[in-house]
Amino acid sequence: MEIKNIKSSDIPAFFNQLIKQGKVVMAPVLKKSGKVFFEQVQSYSQVASDYIQTGFSAKSVVFPKVEVLFSYTKTEEGIELKDSIADIPETIVWGLRPCDGSAFNYMTEFFLRENPDTYYAARKEKTTLIAVSCPKADDACFCTSVDLNPGSTSGSDILLTIMGEDIYVEVMTEKGKAAVENSASLFTVSEEKDKEEFLAKIDVKFSLDEIKEKIKNAYDSAEWKNVSMGCFGCGACAFSCPTCTCFDIQDEGTQNKGQRLRCWDSCGFGLFTKHSSGHNPKTNQTERRRQRLLHKFKYSVENLDIVSCVGCGRCIRVCPAHLNIFENILSVTASSIER
Amino acid sequence: MTPLQNKVAELFENGTINLMIGFKSALNKLPVPFFFDSVSRVEDLIFTPECKGNLSVYLQKTEVKQAKKVGILANISTLRSLVQLTSENQLGDIEKTVLTINTQNEVEVFENMDEVETYVQANFPEYSEEDKKLLEQLNSMTRDERWQYWTDQFSSCVKCYACRAVCPMCYCPSCTVECNQPQWIKVSSETTGNLEWHTIKAMHLAGRCINCGECGRICPVGIPVHLLTAQMNLDIEKEFGAKTGFSCKSGYALNTFKTGDKEQFIK
Repeated sequence: MEIKNIKSSDIPAFFNQLIKQGKVVMAPVLKKSGKVFFEQVQSYSQVASDYIQTGFSAKSVVFPKVEVLFSYTKTEEGIELKDSIADIPETIVWGLRPCDGSAFNYMTEFFLRENPDTYYAARKEKTTLIAVSCPKADDACFCTSVDLNPGSTSGSDILLTIMGEDIYVEVMTEKGKAAVENSASLFTVSEEKDKEEFLAKIDVKFSLDEIKEKIKNAYDSAEWKNVSMGCFGCGACAFSCPTCTCFDIQDEGTQNKGQRLRCWDSCGFGLFTKHSSGHNPKTNQTERRRQRLLHKFKYSVENLDIVSCVGCGRCIRVCPAHLNIFENILSVTASSIER
Repeated sequence: MTPLQNKVAELFENGTINLMIGFKSALNKLPVPFFFDSVSRVEDLIFTPECKGNLSVYLQKTEVKQAKKVGILANISTLRSLVQLTSENQLGDIEKTVLTINTQNEVEVFENMDEVETYVQANFPEYSEEDKKLLEQLNSMTRDERWQYWTDQFSSCVKCYACRAVCPMCYCPSCTVECNQPQWIKVSSETTGNLEWHTIKAMHLAGRCINCGECGRICPVGIPVHLLTAQMNLDIEKEFGAKTGFSCKSGYALNTFKTGDKEQFIK
């Protein structure tokens, strides 16, 4: 790790240098709806300055909502197949929060540990993550309950922490080094500093170790029904989640021309686990929501040794029913001890 | 206990209900829909101005239908939904007890749907100032501008189907988007397909939408999707004199023939 300093007045120059290098730069942009979303930008002036969290996470950079896997065209000579991997551009994600940065750790484990996914691998390889620590939080944020904090560097290539006029720069990886190298004159070497006073204060809602232990026996808890009956069965939580990886492979086109797509999917939808016979072993929304919550805190721990919830709070903010994941996890684990 | 909690406890105790659909407060103070299956948690029941959600959606849930004797805490949007759903013969198999906190801030338990209808007609909500302003803006656009506006809006739709999920009038047990033989609507999210989906949804709700605005309020990308059906309601009211969620007896305008209907459209 290298520690540097940059003046906040030099940030636009650093940012615009990244764009000049021909990279796709995704940054938070304030939309007319008042919400902030990652979007490709051309200049630092487009970047949102004041946001707690983006509406959707940065996962779409490595796992797009619709990804063309390949396309085909029938010609007189035969069938022409086009692999989409060659088209993946060098991308910088700017301004993601530390929770989102750490979400990439899980995504990488999920997509690459066994039978590596070549599309994910290619996108991740070409992506540099420049995260910004959280100076403020809201009551949906709970990163501190899942072993992270508003200044976590885990998963990010660079973490910027705003300390008044100075920006404290933690360069974590080779990719991070490459990103600052082209603007080397803007950076000075810095000693290690305590970030604490510049970070949001987020209450710890639960002990993660305790939850991991208790949730092992929570499958049959009667409380699942209480915390899930309000679930409408939409995909808002899964689509905004930085670690939800469900996808649906779709073929679109005709016999002459078409493409194979990988589209976001959600375990909240009624089609989840539905067999072609029409039978669905998950008979109701309570079972689907239990699947989502157990996946985050139990199944991903069993399979990949990672709690796949990063406490970004998006599912809480977007849920039409205001269902609250950490409150629900607390309820089901509390009831599992009583049993 | 609040008067509302006392009333609900009484309804449980005298056997009028065995399930109460209401709200409770989450840790972050937002109201969460909650299903009270006994008197034991009734002290958690709340009804505040923030309880904007439309609980009538849950009446379609199997677990709710199985409960048979269901109490439902209703804001004005929910009451309108209940009226509209009754006119569409959707609530026959549930013995329901409808409660609200009325304009005098008192707990009101409706004896039957006629009383709900009377209450709704006496307290019929206006469009919000914000919606009126947005509709005015849209109507002042040219057709091309309006097309562009909606194309831009729907280009950001991710097809999470939250707008469908929260809609009390989207009660089909199987939706056209879930049909893949033939595939009417693409699974992938892209502008044209997204427009198709929202057009189909809006057309199915024409003259049936009860203007609760939930679809627009909860859209995770902030598309004011409720304006499509809100405008169609105005058009239908103008053409047929029919308000939605207003009467339990009259069917919805586009499905009802009246000899006095205007016929200028037949040319």
